[in-house]
Amino acid sequence: MKKTVVRLLALVMVLSLALLGAGCSSSNKKGELVIFSWADYIDPDLLKEFTASTGIEINYNYFNSEEEMLSKLEAVDGGEYDIVIASDYIINIARKENLLKEIDKSKVPNYENLNEDYLNQYYDPEGKYTIPYVAGTPLIVYDPSRVTCQITGYGSLWDESLKDQIVVMDHMRNVIGFTLKSMGYSLNEQDPEVIAKAGEKLLALKPNIRALDGDTPHEKLISGECTVGYIFTSQVSAVLSERPDFKVVYPEEGMGFGIDSLFMPANAPHEDAALQFMNFLCDPEISARASVFTQYINCNKAATQYLPEEFLNNQAVNIPADILGDIEFMQDISSEATEQMNEIWNTFKQS
Amino acid sequence: MLGKPNAAKGGKKRVISPTVWPLYIWTALFVALPLVYVVTISFLKKDEIWGVTNQFTLGNYLSLFDPVYLKVFGQSFLVAVSTTALTLLIGYPFAYFTAKFSPAVRSFIILLLMAPFWVNSLLRLNGWIILLKANGPVNELLMRLGLAQEPLKLLYNGGAMMLGMVYALLPFMITSIYNSVEKLDWSVIEAARDLGASPAKAFFTVTVPLTVPGIVAGCVLVFVPSMGLFFISDLLGGAKSLLLGNLIKNELMQARNWPMGATLSIAMLLFTFAFIGIYKRVTGEKTLGGIK
Amino acid sequence: MMKKNSWRSRLFVALVLLFNYLPIFIVVLYSFNASKYGNWAGLSLQWYEKLMGNAQILRSLKNSLLLAFSSCALSILIGTAGAVGMARSHFRTQNLLENVSMIPMMLPEIILGMAYLSFFSILKVSFGMVTLIIAHVTFCIPYIFINVQSRLAGLDPAYVEAARDLGASPTRAFWDVTLPLISPAITSGALLAFAMSMDDVVISFFVTGTTSNTLPLQVYSMLKMGVTPEVNALCTLMLLAVFAALGLYALLRRVLRKRA
Repeated sequence: MKKTVVRLLALVMVLSLALLGAGCSSSNKKGELVIFSWADYIDPDLLKEFTASTGIEINYNYFNSEEEMLSKLEAVDGGEYDIVIASDYIINIARKENLLKEIDKSKVPNYENLNEDYLNQYYDPEGKYTIPYVAGTPLIVYDPSRVTCQITGYGSLWDESLKDQIVVMDHMRNVIGFTLKSMGYSLNEQDPEVIAKAGEKLLALKPNIRALDGDTPHEKLISGECTVGYIFTSQVSAVLSERPDFKVVYPEEGMGFGIDSLFMPANAPHEDAALQFMNFLCDPEISARASVFTQYINCNKAATQYLPEEFLNNQAVNIPADILGDIEFMQDISSEATEQMNEIWNTFKQS
Repeated sequence: MLGKPNAAKGGKKRVISPTVWPLYIWTALFVALPLVYVVTISFLKKDEIWGVTNQFTLGNYLSLFDPVYLKVFGQSFLVAVSTTALTLLIGYPFAYFTAKFSPAVRSFIILLLMAPFWVNSLLRLNGWIILLKANGPVNELLMRLGLAQEPLKLLYNGGAMMLGMVYALLPFMITSIYNSVEKLDWSVIEAARDLGASPAKAFFTVTVPLTVPGIVAGCVLVFVPSMGLFFISDLLGGAKSLLLGNLIKNELMQARNWPMGATLSIAMLLFTFAFIGIYKRVTGEKTLGGIK
Repeated sequence: MMKKNSWRSRLFVALVLLFNYLPIFIVVLYSFNASKYGNWAGLSLQWYEKLMGNAQILRSLKNSLLLAFSSCALSILIGTAGAVGMARSHFRTQNLLENVSMIPMMLPEIILGMAYLSFFSILKVSFGMVTLIIAHVTFCIPYIFINVQSRLAGLDPAYVEAARDLGASPTRAFWDVTLPLISPAITSGALLAFAMSMDDVVISFFVTGTTSNTLPLQVYSMLKMGVTPEVNALCTLMLLAVFAALGLYALLRRVLRKRA
């Protein structure tokens, strides 16, 4: 027995050493590019093509929440990663924390292809640090064969017939945001009295909630677990691809909006590679393919001709301009308002 | 070698076995120091949008008495206790019966039990979701058999969450108890039986007391993580109920209130210690399961 | 001799094992499902093909194995030595040390992860395999320690005393008497520790570097994005590997035993 244990231990040690050796022998090729984003957010074929044409190896690291990403980025002092793709509000914080690096536009000639509507937004007012990747707006979808009430906007979600039917994202700001919208206020309302009223209204929604899920709510809708969802753009597309009978609603109270952009952290180790990659993604054809892959709104005005018919016919990613005019970014609010919302959110979940 | 019984009973002579040093140093460096960091954060104020300031405050600890937080503590405690009780109820007989098989069979069973746990736990929970969802096999079966007219809502409720908790933590209970049962001196039980004790009596007066160390270790290994798990309630419970783990995650990531997250973690730590302490006192175990 | 199990207790054991494997059967089955969502849509090997084309998964599998083996080995050494040493030590901070060493189990992973993030960042340790191993060893130690300690507590000290009376040195008594007696506890602690290490997402995220991503990190992110069938295929392959390893282990043991 003793010998067996000793042998096993020895085996384990040898194995780990062997693996350690194998792990260190990674070769350095023509260059490297370290990307940090959500899993599956860039088409692997595009990454392969980039490597094939430039010789730059891509190392794609995933994060699951942007707050986690930002704390990590802070800990490495804006180094180690070359390209981050994240959404507007977190980029705004990163900018205030001086974690962004200015983009040398002369090395990104394709920048001129971008649609001006998506440039110089609040998180990067002078357009110095970011390149929009895709944009999106959360929408309501529902199964008309099982929903008996009329759904026109956020307010409809409170309908009594929807008891235990709805899936919405598990996200404090978004959920309290659409409650505020349903009352005619801004997503970014900071008046404590208004927020308190929204809190009361939100509590009344709880019986209708079947699940809170920001990651895979489309699966709950496709499987028939839920009949109504307030979900992100790509998820709407996923639902429609499996269940074309589902109806999409552009909420009458107006919509939230978000842009996911590329940026370089302040001390990105491979700046040249990062700029090449940015330029690559701004290429009209590549940009079109990126939007089709992610199923988000395209931000490249030269890309329209490359977008396939079915993408253009998709209500989730091709929203009529007059509706898209009535949108609002979710921005940072005061510490007090956040705290109040947090308490509301905890009470809502706890109830 | 196991103990120096004389010194131990004699009392206070100071002896440090050299083999304790690695543990000592490791713990001081990689547990105590990060813990100091967490404690420090818990006394600071949060910054407006991101991070913490240098200002000292007791406010975080005072907010612990906020009714929402108290309710979350209560609910998490209930869930943790029920999980522990259920796993004990299933785990004890399983470990006991397993130990009664021949050595080859029982080590095979234990390996069979552990093997899936080397595969990602989220994947296994995902298996439950596929199984129980509206168009999953269970509902299909029920409808084919005419036991249900329309798909039952098996997921995203308290029951599904408990199922997930028990499923995820059962092996911890079983292996701990099995360790105790497996080394039982069965002749003692035989002796009790020979002296006229009924099987039940022999079991409760001899077997159970002899396996208390395993029970305590198992309960600690189940209770402690079940206070802090968040993904089970998110995945199987539909994220609708707030347990301590979820609360702390929300505070840290959505409210970006790190000091409050740290404070809640420290409170949870103290609460767990206190609970285990009381539990130890009640069961009369003093030196087992790692926590005195 | 103890009584044999009745058919009822055999049934119970079988049912619990079934409960244990039910979701896994489903995962294996659905890894061959042709449809990405929803219902069964016929057999297909497309997810395996996709998986095989994913070089990143293979790289992170290698990282994970390295991490799990080395943190397991290190925590076995530290945890067992600590538990054995504690049993024959008496010092003032003993209780404190024991309690503090258990803390990684009791703190929520996310706060521990964030604490390590700041800790390593302050110490200017670069994130990578080393920081991963440190973090994993720290949360693996309690599992080994608890198991060994509870095993030691139930052992009759007479065995060791007898060995000592017969003239064995303390070291000799440890290798020949104590270690064989506690080895089942070490094994089961190690199995748990290995499983914990192969499963950890939250702490690993914070302490990993750009080239040391682990399999659970990949799997978690893929699951979160709803890439499930591919992940089901991966799960099936891993399970297969686990059983192959167990078979090999059983074979090895039989051979060793025959030789002994």
